Amino acid sequence: MTAPTELARRVVHHKLFWPVVALLVLLLAAGVRSPGFLSVTVQDGHLFGQVIDIMRGAATPLLLALGMALVIATGGIDLSVGAVMAISLAVSLQFLDNSATADQPSTAVVAVLLGVAVALVLGAFNGFMVTVLGIQPFIATMILMVAGRGIAMLITKGQITTTTSPPFKTIGSGFFLGLPMPVIIAAVAFVVVVIVVRRTALGMLLESIGINREAARLAGVRSRNVTWFAYAASGLLAGLAGIVYGAPTMAADANNIGLMKEMDAILCVVLGGTSLMGGKFYLGGTVVGALILTTIERVVIIFHIPSQTTPLFKAIVIIAVCIAQSPVLLRRLDLRRLRRASRRRAELASQEVPA
Amino acid sequence: MTTLTSPTSTTPRWRTALRRATDRRYMPVAGSVLTLVLMLVVGEMRYGGSSGFLTPRLVSNLLVDNSYLLVLAIGMTFVIITGGIDLSVGAVVALTGLVIATLLPMGLPLPVVLLVAVLIGSAMGLIIGVMVQVFDIQPFIASLGVMFLARGLANVVSVNSLAITDEGFASLAAWNVTFGEKANQFRLNAAMLVALVLLIVGFYLLHYTRFGRTVYGVGVGDAGNAIDLMGLRAGRTVLWVYVISGTCAGIAGILFALYTKSGYNLTGIGMELDAIAAVVIGGTILTGGGGYILGTAVGVMVYGLIQVLISREGLGEAWWTKIFIGAVLLVFVIVQRFLTARRR
Amino acid sequence: MSQATSPVVEMTGITIEFPGVKALDGVDFRLFPGEVHALMGENGAGKSTLIKVLTGVYQAGAGRIVVDGVERTFSGTDEAQEAGISTVYQEVNLVGNLSVAENVMLGHEPRTGPFISWRAMRRAAREYLARLHVDVDPGAELSSLSVAVQQLCAIARATVVDAKVLILDEPTSSLQKNEVDELFAVVRELKERGVAILFVSHFLDQVYEISDRMTVLRNGRLVGEYLTPELPRLELVSKMIGRAEGELGSIEARAHRVAESAHDGTPRVRAVGLGKHGRVEPFDLELFPGQIVGLVGLLGSGRTEAARLIYGADRPDSGELELDGKRVRLPHPNAALRHDVAFSSEDRKREGIIGDLTVRENIALAVQTVRGVWRRVPKKEIDEIVDRFMEALNIHPRNPAMLLKNLSGGNQQKVLLARWLATSPKVLVLDEPTRGIDVGAKAEVQRLVIELADRGMSVLFISSEFEEVLRVSERVRIVRDRVVADELVNGPELTSQVLVERIAQTPEKGAVA
Repeated sequence: MTAPTELARRVVHHKLFWPVVALLVLLLAAGVRSPGFLSVTVQDGHLFGQVIDIMRGAATPLLLALGMALVIATGGIDLSVGAVMAISLAVSLQFLDNSATADQPSTAVVAVLLGVAVALVLGAFNGFMVTVLGIQPFIATMILMVAGRGIAMLITKGQITTTTSPPFKTIGSGFFLGLPMPVIIAAVAFVVVVIVVRRTALGMLLESIGINREAARLAGVRSRNVTWFAYAASGLLAGLAGIVYGAPTMAADANNIGLMKEMDAILCVVLGGTSLMGGKFYLGGTVVGALILTTIERVVIIFHIPSQTTPLFKAIVIIAVCIAQSPVLLRRLDLRRLRRASRRRAELASQEVPA
Repeated sequence: MTTLTSPTSTTPRWRTALRRATDRRYMPVAGSVLTLVLMLVVGEMRYGGSSGFLTPRLVSNLLVDNSYLLVLAIGMTFVIITGGIDLSVGAVVALTGLVIATLLPMGLPLPVVLLVAVLIGSAMGLIIGVMVQVFDIQPFIASLGVMFLARGLANVVSVNSLAITDEGFASLAAWNVTFGEKANQFRLNAAMLVALVLLIVGFYLLHYTRFGRTVYGVGVGDAGNAIDLMGLRAGRTVLWVYVISGTCAGIAGILFALYTKSGYNLTGIGMELDAIAAVVIGGTILTGGGGYILGTAVGVMVYGLIQVLISREGLGEAWWTKIFIGAVLLVFVIVQRFLTARRR
Repeated sequence: MSQATSPVVEMTGITIEFPGVKALDGVDFRLFPGEVHALMGENGAGKSTLIKVLTGVYQAGAGRIVVDGVERTFSGTDEAQEAGISTVYQEVNLVGNLSVAENVMLGHEPRTGPFISWRAMRRAAREYLARLHVDVDPGAELSSLSVAVQQLCAIARATVVDAKVLILDEPTSSLQKNEVDELFAVVRELKERGVAILFVSHFLDQVYEISDRMTVLRNGRLVGEYLTPELPRLELVSKMIGRAEGELGSIEARAHRVAESAHDGTPRVRAVGLGKHGRVEPFDLELFPGQIVGLVGLLGSGRTEAARLIYGADRPDSGELELDGKRVRLPHPNAALRHDVAFSSEDRKREGIIGDLTVRENIALAVQTVRGVWRRVPKKEIDEIVDRFMEALNIHPRNPAMLLKNLSGGNQQKVLLARWLATSPKVLVLDEPTRGIDVGAKAEVQRLVIELADRGMSVLFISSEFEEVLRVSERVRIVRDRVVADELVNGPELTSQVLVERIAQTPEKGAVA
């Protein structure tokens, strides 16, 4: 095999190949349909354009999906992230609302830290339920999913808390280095998670738990601590996502913020090539997943398809990906490949005999 | 030869009865019944007044308000006992409601429309069942996919709230029989009747047929191995429970449409969680293998009563309901966890 | 015994192949009415597979099954049951969350109309149970009963189908002595009634107590069929492990590794009364620095279980463990690794390899877990370790970036050895380290083990290949029926033959040292 074809083979077989192709196709299709879709303009030193909007829109699902990827790697799931988003935003805004110095940057920082800290505690609670009490992840996190939204509403007293705090608002609608603030925050979070996971042994240990829990245990992996960390991280990132999501409007609508966002996060992770069965996870892929998700939502508008049909596209994607990942299908394909190989071998053998 | 162990037929009857009453299998359900009784007592003490808290009217209202939830929970009970989950039911309720609202003005006869609505539910369940059984996809994800599918289809049908003005449908919704007067008035309506009939059907199906017992056997968590070795069909059973759940969701969609006299694509968001919560509060083990249909009925009553109590308490706000339900769920799940842990 | 009658089951030339392995190869088997027939062989010999062919779980690739003179092909368990073949599987294969009555009757439940008649079902179940002298409430939840009673319920279920053939696959593995007696009484009664009973057990005593005839399998092949009284234990064991008696003696002088001097001082490992109920009886064991102790016994005898207790893979429920004279508790494997104890499991696939990680990651894993999550082992250090061990153990292909699942079994095993050796353990517990690897690799592993011991490592060496154990170990412990028994000093007079005799010995006779 020559070098270029070898390279091509490796590119095609890369986990990210198909997700990236899908993203590019979507973007190109939109670009052809609506010229100007791909153009980016500069105003007041800030970048504007559809693509920038997509990146901005992808920030929230990405923040959620980063934590979700870690949880899924252990073979678990975190359904509570949507509710945690609502709680952290409610806590932050309520704090600002009660503060006399809401326009001070320092107050805004405290508000953010408070919201994120509460989210961290909630994530740790999920981790406690899963690792110490040994409750199935699905059920354990569902409890917070149900109760969490109530807690958020309790904090806001059922009102849509609106407040003004320019520094806080910057988190959602400001710009930094010409890019929207949410994009910067998501990028920083991504880099931090990558460093924490890949510069330590955490990533490898998470994967070993997800691939073969018993073998990992016998190799000395303390799965309880590692798994707990994943849930705590998921909570923390969800808290951050809530603040980023709610900051532009400064309105904590506890009823609707983060609704169904857990499903979007799961979708991003799966689109990025991580199997829901746990094991190997791909943070880079998750970024692509988040971009695909947001792009689908945009493209639907560009093509004048009623935007309400997006769930339909999500459904098609989920079902297709699941069936493609399905162990049954893989086994069948493997069998066929095996059979083909043995047939080839038999043919070769029969050719050799006369010679 | 000495005989082996355990309470025998020679032990007094009361001891057998006592042992049965303290049987681990009944503990979660006993817990839910206890919760129900406790709530009724609290209600009686605080809001009893002259006419009392527990009146036929209260029971009637509970049933009327929660008949659709009861139907969903019955279907969900089957699924959860096999160790699965069905997240699609809320979306299916929205879809069937809209289909009814769209088909009736087209002049199709009411029975046909209702049948179509039910069959849509069955079809959604069948899709999940095939994904779970044939493709070995986790029920959570399979039903999540179908949830998006149903929600998307509902959005395609309409994104507006469609009022159902069909006369036949309206009269069906309005039909009721009342017994008694005032506080003692018991109102029986069509939705309630349907829910009660399904409760009986579900009860017999689960507890008095081989299919029902296989449902339990599948839920022990060995992928149906034991059941298969016993010569029963595990695979087929798994497929069927999702069809049952889907069908129940279709019927619940009709009941919800009767209740609201409209179809709307945003109804039923989170309704699957209500159903799951009611089932768990009703004593069904979420990891599969244990539960009772009548327990589910108790769970739905507890669920409804929580809302009643919270509104009577003046905590009319919806958040208390959610927090309270979350807390009850937490307690039940932890108790279940310890019960199942002791089993091992 | 009913020699004159014709067999109720006759299987001829049964062959079944799974991807990569021939599980059964032309096996013949026959079963007469009114006999207890023991199917013997080590784990993996094909006993369970043969049973599953007979009960319709697997379909044989070739061969005939004749039941009651009629040739049959079973495509499901229900068809085999209809033909009168009932099975009580190794793990009680009943449904724990259902009632006793359901477990006994389901599939044949009495009904009124379409509905189960619970009253009739309980009554019928009580009758079937009473025939086995079991008196339990049929309404009780099955899992609330003791394993012994559950086992009897499984047998009661088997009798409901009016079984002509009853298969008991390891029915006694979780029973106490007196419960075994109860079970055997029932088995004898069924036998009197003319039921043909196929009995599988690891316990030789029980086999000799209950069976009339034996069929021995080895590596998926038939070794032979024998009348129990005519086959002495010793001969049985050598047939199971596959060496004729004479052959055993003639194995040439091996390089016995004999202790240079008696060990004194504190042992590196000292187990006192360490045990776990239902796995291995409490045992004592000492292991000195530089010493290799072999554990031999039939597969399933409790040798793996003993090893797991020393590593902390299972928690003991009795006894103490001392490392270098200090009492330690090993609540989980990580603690053992931190105490420089490493353990290589016999079950490579389930408990060893992490297939979707690379060779490099698999080797580095244990070193990493000892160091903790946050202190990642530097890349340079890992490279060094990986290079060193891939070279030393001759791991092929020499590509650390390959996924471990894509390597051959032998190379996977070497990667696992590398994982444990990389932690530079003072105590190494090796459970079947050479299983499924080729001869060259075997020799390499044996050489390596001896080398490590020479450098002061203590090794507990478990293997089914006695020559291998004798080649490397200084002392040998015999494990028999879950008891870690006699300790033998290795020397020229200790041969495989002696080991076989010791394993076959009845415990009642005691040690004839």
